Amino acid sequence: MRRKALATAILLALPALALGQSPTDVTIKTTKGGLRTRIHCEWLEPKGDKAAHTMSVTAEEVLANDLENSAVFTLTRAWVPGQQPFDIQATVGGTWAVSGNTVKLTGEVRDVPARRPLLVREYRGSTAEWRSLVHAFADDAVRLFTGEPGVAQTRIAFISGQGKAKELYVMDFDGARAHALTADQSIALSPAWSPEGSLILFTSYRGGSGPQVFVIASAGGRPYLVSGRQGLNTTPSYSPDGREIVCTLSQDGNPEIYVLDARGGSPRRLTDSRSIDTSPCWSPTGREIAFTSDRAGTPQVYVMDHEGGNLRRLDYDVEYTDSPAWSPKGDRIAFVARTGSGFDIYTCRPNGADTRLVVSGGSNENPHWSPDGRHLVFASNRDSVPGLYVTDLDDRPPRRLDLGGLRAQSPAWSPRPPGAGPAVNLNDEEKRGGTR
Amino acid sequence: MKSLTRWTAILSLAVVAGLAAGCAKKAAETPPTPPPAQPQETPPTPPPTPPPPPPAPPTPEPEHVSLEFEPAFFDFDSFTLRDDARTALDHDARMLRDNGSTHVTIEGHCDERGTVEYNQALGEKRAQAARDYLVAAGIDASRIQIISYGKERPFADGHDESAWQQNRRAHFVTR
Repeated sequence: MRRKALATAILLALPALALGQSPTDVTIKTTKGGLRTRIHCEWLEPKGDKAAHTMSVTAEEVLANDLENSAVFTLTRAWVPGQQPFDIQATVGGTWAVSGNTVKLTGEVRDVPARRPLLVREYRGSTAEWRSLVHAFADDAVRLFTGEPGVAQTRIAFISGQGKAKELYVMDFDGARAHALTADQSIALSPAWSPEGSLILFTSYRGGSGPQVFVIASAGGRPYLVSGRQGLNTTPSYSPDGREIVCTLSQDGNPEIYVLDARGGSPRRLTDSRSIDTSPCWSPTGREIAFTSDRAGTPQVYVMDHEGGNLRRLDYDVEYTDSPAWSPKGDRIAFVARTGSGFDIYTCRPNGADTRLVVSGGSNENPHWSPDGRHLVFASNRDSVPGLYVTDLDDRPPRRLDLGGLRAQSPAWSPRPPGAGPAVNLNDEEKRGGTR
Repeated sequence: MKSLTRWTAILSLAVVAGLAAGCAKKAAETPPTPPPAQPQETPPTPPPTPPPPPPAPPTPEPEHVSLEFEPAFFDFDSFTLRDDARTALDHDARMLRDNGSTHVTIEGHCDERGTVEYNQALGEKRAQAARDYLVAAGIDASRIQIISYGKERPFADGHDESAWQQNRRAHFVTR
């Protein structure tokens, strides 16, 4: 089946590729543009009372958004009477059965050219958690076509300020279910997820003596101090194996990059310059660290190995760069470059080659990759009201996450949750690959 | 009926005009009158109370009044002390020397340009630069704490150079 889907995807993509290579498209090159699979999103047939009916309509909207925002699909939704979309690869739909406080979503993906089911799967949960069922189904649909689940079940941590206070928040990847994890009336900044998603490191002034590193359960709870050394304790980030934390400390007098153990102990200093060194991030292998330094006069992104050796400047095309973020597959580094009035977002290869402008207009800050590497979330004032945006790294404009009026900054994308959520598999892999 | 409405219209016009004139008059008259009225009214009551405290205040008060530290201002993306910053810090050093028991926290602040994280480090460097200058001027380092707020606690909310200059500073708070 997969071979066939791939072949069709390539066939469908050919004209799109030809269009994408217009000679005017010089500055913004697309990374994965033009390769979306065309699918049709059908309704979720409601089963149950009136409430089930209303709920199913909302669930359909969420499903369609998940699929469209996966950057894997492009959707059609309503059939034109007497005429079916002729060029679609698959249909996605199913039933939405509500009984008491439980929902059963039976999700179906059907191969249209072959007229066969690709996936039939049941997802059960409480009505309160209905969004999780839809997201799990959407991720399975993405996996059918890419071999890798989507990111609809992931979350995004961010910082939201009311008045002078800034608190740590978490929300679904689509902006829904945003809620505060802290209520410190202090300043929280720079969240970073643990590799399995259960913990979030962040910087906070809640201790009263300056910026310190804390950790909090992503499900909520009390923050625990990780590093409260003299001076700066900022920009924490877990190593890919979760055993170490890289951060900025100024305990020795100057802001430098240090590696701590996961509990905040045994600091090991990686940089030694009289300038500012900050904002470190790991490569996905854990062997290298990208960070910002102004040792050459202006802030620039550098890369070094995890022992502090083999230092090199990342990019020579742009004068002022900051906020490095290494892609989860290791193939690219996103960073911001200062313009007159703010920041643009670029990506390049870890060796500095192939620099591409991804986002410009307004000030665009703190890019952070989705775990599948298909998207970047970032903070921006591009529509004058500061908010969070997601770019699919293609020719589509970034989309603003609807946070219901919350001011938001410093987004951090969670890893995928362990397991596939509350799904119950009806079809095994063999049945799924039935067209073979 | 018609004439009546016309009369009310004229009357109300006249009233409005009168009111307007009154307002104008008041507006013209008020500025000069209140100033004398307020001072005249307020002094009578306070004087009776102050007399008892004066003997004690004279010594502590001058100290408090004089404890106005001057912030050191910086250029964009810089933690180098400018001449005006050195002048301000000379004043601050004198103040610390004259008030041997005073402890201060120096806050490092930045303008809104640049990332949150970089500005936290830059604010730290600014506070350090101010502290190091004072220590070089003979102030005991144990009397000075530093904290960086980066761009999180701006003094001016604007988005132009005058606001940005206000926000690029090492700011003194007594403890």
